Amino acid sequence: MRFAFTDDQILFRDTVADLLSKECPAEAVRWAWADETGRRRELWSALAEMGVVGLTVPEAHGGLGLGEVDLVPLLTEVGRVAFPGALVETTAVVAPLLAENAPASVAERWLPAIAAGEAVATVQLAGQPFVADAHVADLLVAQHDDRIYAVPGDKLRLTPQPSVDGARRLFSVEFDAADAELVVNGEAGWLAANHAFDRGAGATAAVLVGLAEQMIAMTVDYVVARRQFGVPIGSFQAVKHHLADAELKVSFARPTVWHAAYSLAHGRTVADRDVSLAKCFASDAAEVVARKALQCHGAIGYTTEHDLHFWLKRTWALAASWGDAAWHRRRVAHLLLDA
Amino acid sequence: MNVVVCVKQIPDPADPGALDPTTKTLKRDGKLILDESDSYGVEMALQLVTAAGGGEVTLVSMAPNGEVSGLRTALAMGAAKAILVSDDALAGSDALGTAKVLAKAIERVEGADLILTATESSDGYTGTVPEQVAGLLDLPSVTFAKHIEVDGSTVKVQRQTEAGYDDVECPLPAVVSVTAGVVEPRYPSFKGIMAAKSKPVDTLTVADLGLDASQVGWAGAGQEIVSIEEAPAREAGEVIEDDGTAFEKIVAYLDNLKVL
Repeated sequence: MRFAFTDDQILFRDTVADLLSKECPAEAVRWAWADETGRRRELWSALAEMGVVGLTVPEAHGGLGLGEVDLVPLLTEVGRVAFPGALVETTAVVAPLLAENAPASVAERWLPAIAAGEAVATVQLAGQPFVADAHVADLLVAQHDDRIYAVPGDKLRLTPQPSVDGARRLFSVEFDAADAELVVNGEAGWLAANHAFDRGAGATAAVLVGLAEQMIAMTVDYVVARRQFGVPIGSFQAVKHHLADAELKVSFARPTVWHAAYSLAHGRTVADRDVSLAKCFASDAAEVVARKALQCHGAIGYTTEHDLHFWLKRTWALAASWGDAAWHRRRVAHLLLDA
Repeated sequence: MNVVVCVKQIPDPADPGALDPTTKTLKRDGKLILDESDSYGVEMALQLVTAAGGGEVTLVSMAPNGEVSGLRTALAMGAAKAILVSDDALAGSDALGTAKVLAKAIERVEGADLILTATESSDGYTGTVPEQVAGLLDLPSVTFAKHIEVDGSTVKVQRQTEAGYDDVECPLPAVVSVTAGVVEPRYPSFKGIMAAKSKPVDTLTVADLGLDASQVGWAGAGQEIVSIEEAPAREAGEVIEDDGTAFEKIVAYLDNLKVL
């Protein structure tokens, strides 16, 4: 097993990082909080044109037909800039779910549109009360017991729900059965839903690593620039230790996230365990980093005036989504001890 | 329509550059990237080829150690092929030495209608190479293009000036240097990146070009770097106490910069 990214994967990552650093600066995240939809279609199109959105869409449907290991470095970059958009839902969850399970008519309707950046997708699995980005989604993939449906976005009835992250809006969603097309059901439906959940949790863990890395970078910049008693506050041991603890957490989380992606991509039977390990490590790490970052900023970032605020809120939102750390830790214990 | 674009691969400006104390030149032994100022020429060339409805973009570059990373970026944007001149004998080349190499490499591209360059590179520059290339190839040259249009066998250029721009025309083939911001360079797509790996890069030496090693590099350079020193620290800005008329000084200052 070669446990390193290929030259192509690194080049894709750097290309995406370049685009996001120019097209999605902190002002874009701030704007997403204030704007009516919080979503800029041109940015989504630029990512689609590059091949990011359709990365997991099969080549026959206009995508690149790549998998989790290729996607994970890109999602970390997406987290780094706190990208406002449903990339986890669309590219990590819905596209592979449809590619593997949907009848030809449903796949042909949605997969080429996803790859082209024309259709944004979101997802509601069992036990997930609210749906992120439902207000801009062209497609909802929803689970009802063993049945998974595809519902066009314009057939959804939405009720806005409070969200800690103003750039990641949540909705409760209703739709009529007549508007829903069946994707898969029965035993295969349960399997598809479980697989979708693992993909979503693994992808979110990768985003959390990016958020955490960026919060550390912002904090390092701050403690070098901010002076007290005639020296940068970063020269104080108490501050250094906070940042070292933060870096340690992320360094431990990162390989678990990569490993989970590997297990998902290779269909390993322990993928669920590996995903849970990754999500609990990444959620814990990002929350610790968020706390340390806020403290080292002298609590600047507690309000929206400072960019750090947006990264903190995204971290809290994602750490609690797709199963929080405690939930995933219990699942790891269950999978190890009951096996 | 076939367009040749001269591109330079430079040390990543994000990493702090360093000078070699022995040669007194920039260290270029690490990974090199496409000079951003050249990405405008590549984009312009791709757009002109698309507008013409056919043809291709060829890159010409000179770099140490057979470096192709920057060329791959431009190939991923959509250029069809590249010629790379890489030879130890080229170390220390001055502007004219560089122009000789580029001109010889450009001559190898069959049916080139237009040669685009940046106005100057970002890492070390004189801003004279485009005109020298044009001189060596005996082609007409237009500098500082901010808009380019090809009409039959004529190229129409809006040439940036201090006060605005001049409309200039010249017959093809010609050498045109483009300013930064002339177009918005596209981001390479993943498909482009993968395709770029199989695009041809013709790597040549000085001898392959029919040049003598004494004409290029340190041997052929008409210049010598005598000494290098630290750039002077930035001077403090001017502070004007506002007595109610400070705006006049600001207006005069901006007017002097010709930004008003």
